[in-house]
Amino acid sequence: MPVEVDNSSAMTVSTASGEASPSSSGNQVQPSSTTTATTMKRKRNLPGMPDPDAEVIALSPKTLMATNRFVCEICNKGFQRDQNLQLHRRGHNLPWKLRQRANKEIRKRVYVCPEPSCVHHNPARALGDLTGIKKHFCRKHGEKKWKCEKCSKKYAVQSDWKAHLKTCGTKEYRCDCGTLFSRRDSFVTHRAFCDALAEESSRAQTSAKSKDEPRRKKHAVLPSPPSPSVVVSMAPLVQDSELPKNVVGSLHYHLPTACLDGSSSTSGTGSSRLSSVFDSRLGGSLLPQTSAFSDLVCAASLASTPAIEPPLLHLSPCSGFTLFGTTGQDGSQFARPSQPAMSATALLQKAAEMGAAASNPSLLRGLGLSIASSSCLQENSGWNRDNEGNTASAGSGLTHPSDGAVGLTELMIGPSLLFGSKSATHDFLGLKIGMGGGVTPTGGVSALMSSMGSGGGDADLPVAEGDSEVKTD
Amino acid sequence: MVNLLSMHNNINEPQTSHTSSSRSSESSNPLEAKKWASKILRDCAKAISGNDSSKINHLLWMLNELASPYGDCDQKLASHFLQALFCKAFESGNQCYKTLTSVVERSHSFESSRKVILKFQEVSPWTTFGHVASNGAILEALEGETKLHILDISNTFCTQWPTLLEALATKSDETPHLKLTVVVTLGMARSIMKEIGQRMEKFARLMGVPFEFHVVIGSLRLGELTREELGVQEDEAIAVNCVGALQRISVEERDEVVRMLHALKPKVVTVVEEEADFTSSRNDFVKCFEECLRFYTLYFEMLEECFVPTSNERLMLERECSRSIIRVLACEGGDGVGEESERRERGIQWCEKLKKSFTPVRYSDDVVDDVKALLKRYRAGWSLPPAQAEDTGLYLTWKEEPVVWASAWKP
Repeated sequence: MPVEVDNSSAMTVSTASGEASPSSSGNQVQPSSTTTATTMKRKRNLPGMPDPDAEVIALSPKTLMATNRFVCEICNKGFQRDQNLQLHRRGHNLPWKLRQRANKEIRKRVYVCPEPSCVHHNPARALGDLTGIKKHFCRKHGEKKWKCEKCSKKYAVQSDWKAHLKTCGTKEYRCDCGTLFSRRDSFVTHRAFCDALAEESSRAQTSAKSKDEPRRKKHAVLPSPPSPSVVVSMAPLVQDSELPKNVVGSLHYHLPTACLDGSSSTSGTGSSRLSSVFDSRLGGSLLPQTSAFSDLVCAASLASTPAIEPPLLHLSPCSGFTLFGTTGQDGSQFARPSQPAMSATALLQKAAEMGAAASNPSLLRGLGLSIASSSCLQENSGWNRDNEGNTASAGSGLTHPSDGAVGLTELMIGPSLLFGSKSATHDFLGLKIGMGGGVTPTGGVSALMSSMGSGGGDADLPVAEGDSEVKTD
Repeated sequence: MVNLLSMHNNINEPQTSHTSSSRSSESSNPLEAKKWASKILRDCAKAISGNDSSKINHLLWMLNELASPYGDCDQKLASHFLQALFCKAFESGNQCYKTLTSVVERSHSFESSRKVILKFQEVSPWTTFGHVASNGAILEALEGETKLHILDISNTFCTQWPTLLEALATKSDETPHLKLTVVVTLGMARSIMKEIGQRMEKFARLMGVPFEFHVVIGSLRLGELTREELGVQEDEAIAVNCVGALQRISVEERDEVVRMLHALKPKVVTVVEEEADFTSSRNDFVKCFEECLRFYTLYFEMLEECFVPTSNERLMLERECSRSIIRVLACEGGDGVGEESERRERGIQWCEKLKKSFTPVRYSDDVVDDVKALLKRYRAGWSLPPAQAEDTGLYLTWKEEPVVWASAWKP
C-alpha cells in the first residue's frame, strides 16, 4: 500500500476507526454496486465529523509534536503517553499508578487542530483520536524533514517515510489495460487518458452474466493458438480468470507484440500466428487483407504499427467479440464487479496492484491500436516501401527501393515521401522536370500543390497518380 | 547527369553512383557519412540566400536523393529541411504549410494525439519537465485557496493535469474546487477537446476533486481575450498556464498577450518554452536557418536516442517538425491570423517581455527536487544545471544544451 494513499485515507476514517483505509474503501464499495447513480455523485467523506456530545480537546502544537515525552528513568525508553509509561514501570517493579477515571461516565473525546487556518481547527470537524490528530498535525503543518533519496519525496512523519522507503522504486503500477509503469506520474497520466478508465466508470451495472455466457462459448470454439512461450513477457498481462486464458490471451499477445514499437522480434512465425488469429476470428472475410499484412510483417521484420491497424479496423465491427468501447456489451468482459465509487486513491491503488487481473479488451486500445486514419494508410505504403528498401540495402544509410531496375524516377519516388503520401512525389518529379527538361520550376510547384490538395483523402489515388507519372516519364 | 555526379564528388559527400550496391557500401562507413546533412543543407540555404538558382537546383536534387523521413538522423533532417528549403526556393511556403496543416487536421484524432503525446512523455522529459515545474509552481501559488481556476493556454492536451489532480486529491485536507478552462487555438485541438474534457471530468470525479471543465475556442488573437470570455469569477484564485503557448502567438502580438495575462489578475503565470530563437533573426534567412537547424538537430538526435528506431510516434513528432520548419523558414509575410507562429524565443527574451508586467517567482526547493527526481527516471543525458544568479526559471538541458525553459511569474 503506497504511503500517499495511507495519508489521505487515514485522515478520512480517523474518526471512525483510526486506521484501516481498506475498511473505508470497502464501505464505499459495497453499497455502490447497488446504488451506483447516487454514489457516483456523492462527494468524498469529509474527515472529522465527530459525535456532537464528545469532549473537544485542544492540544498545543508542542504537545502534538512531542514524541515520547514520558521517559522511563531505568531504561530511558520513551512513551507518548503517561499511561503507557506507568504500565511499563510495572515491568521494572517500580511504583506505578494508573490514573483512575474521575467519573464512570465515559465521555468520548475529540481533538481539534491548533492551526487556526486548518479545517480541523473547527470543533465540528475535530478528529476522533489522539494518534489521528498528532499525525494530522505533523503531516499537514509540520516540517517534512524525512526525504527519500531515491525519489525526493518528503515526509513529515517518520513512519510514513520508512514505509515509503520499503516500496520506493520497487513498485510497478499496472493499468487495467495491461500497461505497466514504474513511475507513478506516468501511470497517473496514462490512467486518466486510458480507455480502461472510461470503461471503469461508464460501464453499466448489468453484470451481464447472461451475455457473457454465449460469448465465452464462442471463445471456446476457437482453435487454441500455439503455446505462448514466445511471448512470455506479455503473458502476465492476461490473467482474467473468467475467460478462457489461452484463447483470449493469444489474441492479445500477438497483437501487442507486433505493435509495440521496437520489439523487432516480430518474426515470420509471429506474423503467421497473427494471421491465424485473424483467420480464426473472422473466417474468410478478412483473409486477403490479413495475409497481405502478415507478408508485410515478414518482409519488414520490423514492428510496423500502422500496418497492423487496418485489420483491426475491420476486426472490431466484424467479430462478435467486441474489442472495445463501441457497444455496451463489452462491460461484461470485465470479470470483476464494477466499483465506480471507490475513492480516488483506492482506485489508483487497485489498478496498481501487481498481478491484478488485466482487463483484456482494453489491452488492444491501451497498447495504442487505433483506427487508422486516411493519412495513416498512406503512411503505411510509404513505410512499407521503405522497409523493403532498407532490408535490401542492409544498413546503407540511404534508403532506396530494392528493385534496381526501376531507375532514377522510382528512386525519387521511394524516399521522398515528405508529405506522408505518394502525391508528394509530384514535388520532385516536378523539380526534376524543371531541372532536366527546361520546364520552369514553378510548373513543378503548381503540380505539387494541385496534387497535394487531393492528397490525404484516398490511399489508393496517390499511388495511381504516381504510376502514371512513371509511365509518362 | 554527368554534371550532377560531379557535384557529389566536389562536395565529397557519400560518393555514389546510382546503383544500390555501391551506395550501401559507401555509407556503411559512419564517419564519412556523419553530419553530411547539415553541410549540404547549409550550402543550400546560402545558395537560396544568394539566389544562385543552378546551385539551388543541384543541391535540392542531391538532398532529395539522399534524404528520407525514415532514415537515420541525417536523412531525416535532410528530408524535413529539404521540404522547407524547397518551399523557400520556390516561394511556395504559405501554400505548402496550409496544405500540410489541413492534412494534419484531417487525420488528427484523439487516439493519435494521445498515443504520440503519452509515448513522448514516457521516453523523454522534454514535455514532462515543464509539467512538473508548472504544476509545482501552481500548487504552491494556490496553496490554501478553496476555489482554483486554471486557465490553460497550452499545447499539452491536458496531459499535464492528471498529476495535478492527484496532488490536489492527496495533499490538501480540504480538496479545493478546481475549474479548468482550456483555451483552444489550434484547429486540430478543437475536435478532440470534447473527448479530453470527458476524461478529465471522469478522472477528477474518481480522484474526488470537485471539478469543472470548460473549453474556450479562441482565435489566435489571445490578446483580445477578456475575463468574461474566460469565465473568471472574482472569488477565484487564478493560475494561467502557458506551455508552448507564447511561441504560437504572432511576434507582434506578444506584448499585448502579456498585458492581457496581467489583466486576468492571476496568482501565478507559468511559462514553458523551447529554448530557441527564431524571432530576432527572422529577417535574416541564413541566420534563422542556422538556428533552426541547430535546434532541430538537437531535437532529432534527442528523438533518436529516446525512441526505438521504428517508433511510429517518433515519426509523427518528426512530421510535426516538418510543418514548423516550413512555417519558420519558408512562410512569407507576417504571421496570419489563425495560424501558429512557431517563432520561438529564448528564455531571456521571454523574460524581457514578461518582466514588463510580472515579476519572476523562484521555484521552491521542493519543486526543483521534484524536477530532479523526474529527470533521474529517464535515460542519461538530461540535467538541470544549477540556476545562475541572473537566470529566471529553470533550464532543462540535454547533453549540456539547454532545450526547454520553464518559469513562473506573478503580477
